[in-house]
Amino acid sequence: MTDAVVLRAEAVEKSYDGLKVLDGASIDVARGQVKVIIGPSGSGKSTFLRCLALLERVDAGAVYLDGERLSGVKERDLAAHRSEVGMVFQRFNLFQNMTALRNVMTALVDVRRLPKREARERALEFLDRVGLADKAGSYPEELSGGQQQRVAIARALVMRPKAMLFDEPTSALDVELVREVLDVMEDLARDGMTMVVVSHELRFAQHVASSILMMDAGKIIEEAPPARFFSSPTHERTRRFLALVE
Amino acid sequence: MLASFDAHLFWEVLRSGPYWKGALLAIGLTCASLGAACVIAFPLALGRASRSRAVRFVVFLYSWFFRATPTLLLLLLIWDALPQLWPVFRGSWFSAFLAAFVALALNEAAYMAEIFRAGLLSVDPGQELAGRALGMKRWQILRRVIVPQAVRIVIPPTGNEFITLLKLTSLASVISVHELLTAAQEQASVKFSFPEVYGAALVYYLVIVSVLMFLQSRLELRFTFRSRARRSRLAFAVPASHDAR
Repeated sequence: MTDAVVLRAEAVEKSYDGLKVLDGASIDVARGQVKVIIGPSGSGKSTFLRCLALLERVDAGAVYLDGERLSGVKERDLAAHRSEVGMVFQRFNLFQNMTALRNVMTALVDVRRLPKREARERALEFLDRVGLADKAGSYPEELSGGQQQRVAIARALVMRPKAMLFDEPTSALDVELVREVLDVMEDLARDGMTMVVVSHELRFAQHVASSILMMDAGKIIEEAPPARFFSSPTHERTRRFLALVE
Repeated sequence: MLASFDAHLFWEVLRSGPYWKGALLAIGLTCASLGAACVIAFPLALGRASRSRAVRFVVFLYSWFFRATPTLLLLLLIWDALPQLWPVFRGSWFSAFLAAFVALALNEAAYMAEIFRAGLLSVDPGQELAGRALGMKRWQILRRVIVPQAVRIVIPPTGNEFITLLKLTSLASVISVHELLTAAQEQASVKFSFPEVYGAALVYYLVIVSVLMFLQSRLELRFTFRSRARRSRLAFAVPASHDAR
C-alpha cells in the first residue's frame, strides 16, 4: 500500500469546562501528503492539532498513528508514540535554558537513548539543514523569531517523525521573517514529509498543499485540493472566510 | 574620636575562639537547615500542584502548621517537649545542635516550598508542552527544562531566606547552642565593653552576608541563559525583607 494513511482522526470530540471545542473532527493524512487547515479563530484548529500530536486526550472518537489506535493508551506508554509525531508551535517553545544545539539533541539523548556524541552530530546535521549550523551555541533569547522557529523545526525533525504538525508556525513572526520559515517547510514538503499545517499563509497552501481543509465550530466542513478550494468552494462559510482572509 | 573605644579589645574579641566557633556554628546550622529545607520543600512544591486532593491537603497542613508555629516555640517543643513524649530522644545522640537543625529545617521548608512553587509557576507552560511533544517523560522535563529555569527565579528569595535563617540561629541560644550572638552576649556580660564586643559580632555578620551576596551573584550568572560574552552584569544584591518569625 503506497498510499498508507499515517495519521488519522475519527470524529474527535473535546470539551473544556463544558465548552465543546471539537465536535466530530476527522482527518486522513496519507504518507507524503501535506494538509493545510484554515478556519476562524476559536474553530478548534489548535486543539485538533494537539489531539493529533497526542498531547490532548479526546473525549470521543479516536486518533490513529500508522493504523494503531492511540486514544485510550495509558499516559505512561503514550510518550514513546508522541516522539513519532513532530510538533511545531506558534510561539516556538524552545527550551530557554539550552543552546540551539542542546534543544535539538536533548530528546535524542533522553528519548531515543542515543550516545551524546552521536546525538550531537545528528543535531548539528539537522541545524545545518535549516541553515543554522553557525548558531549552534546561541541561546533562544539571542535568536530572531524566524531562527527560533527553524531551530524548533530541526528539534522536531531530528526525531525522524512519521508526520510533522505545524500550529500557525509563522503567525508570531515579523513579516520579513516569515519567508525563511516557509522556505524550510516547503523544502520539507518537497522531500516527501507528511505534514499537517494550521496556517493562514494561503500562498504557501496553494503551492504546497495536497488539500486544504476548512474548519469551523469544531468540525472539518470542507476539504479540497488548492485549485478547487480557492476557485469554487462549496461551503458558504468557506467562501465568506476566504473573502476575509484574501 | 570616640570617647571610649578600645581598638585593642575589639581586635582581641574579634579573633577570639568563642566568636569564631560561634560564627562557624551559625553558618553550619544555617547551611544545614536551609539545605534540608530545600529537600523537604521540593516535593511540597510539586505536591501543591498535584491532581490528588489528599496530597494537596497534606501539603496545606504542613504549610499551615509550620508557618503558624513561632520558630522559638518549635525549638522548645523539639528540644524540651519531645524527650518527655518519647524516651528515644533522651539519648545523648539528640544534641542541641541536632534539635535546632530539625526545628529550623522543618520551619524553613514551609517557606521554601512557597518560593519553589512560585519558581515552578514562573516557567512558561509551553516549555512542558514542547517536552511532552518530543516524547520526554514528566521527570525528564522537570529535570532538564523546568527546574533549571525555575532556579534562576528561586535564587534571590533563597538568598533572603539564608540571611533570615542566619539571624534566626541566635534563637537556638535558648536551647544552649552557642552561636555567634550568644558568644557576644557572654563576652558583654564579662567585659561590659559593649561597643567593642557587639561591634565585633556585627563585623562577623557583615562579612558572612557579603560573602553570601557574592556567591549569589555568581550563581545567578550561572543560571542566566545567554552566551558568556553577552551576559549582562546582574544586580548585585536583593534586600532582605523584614521578617519577624
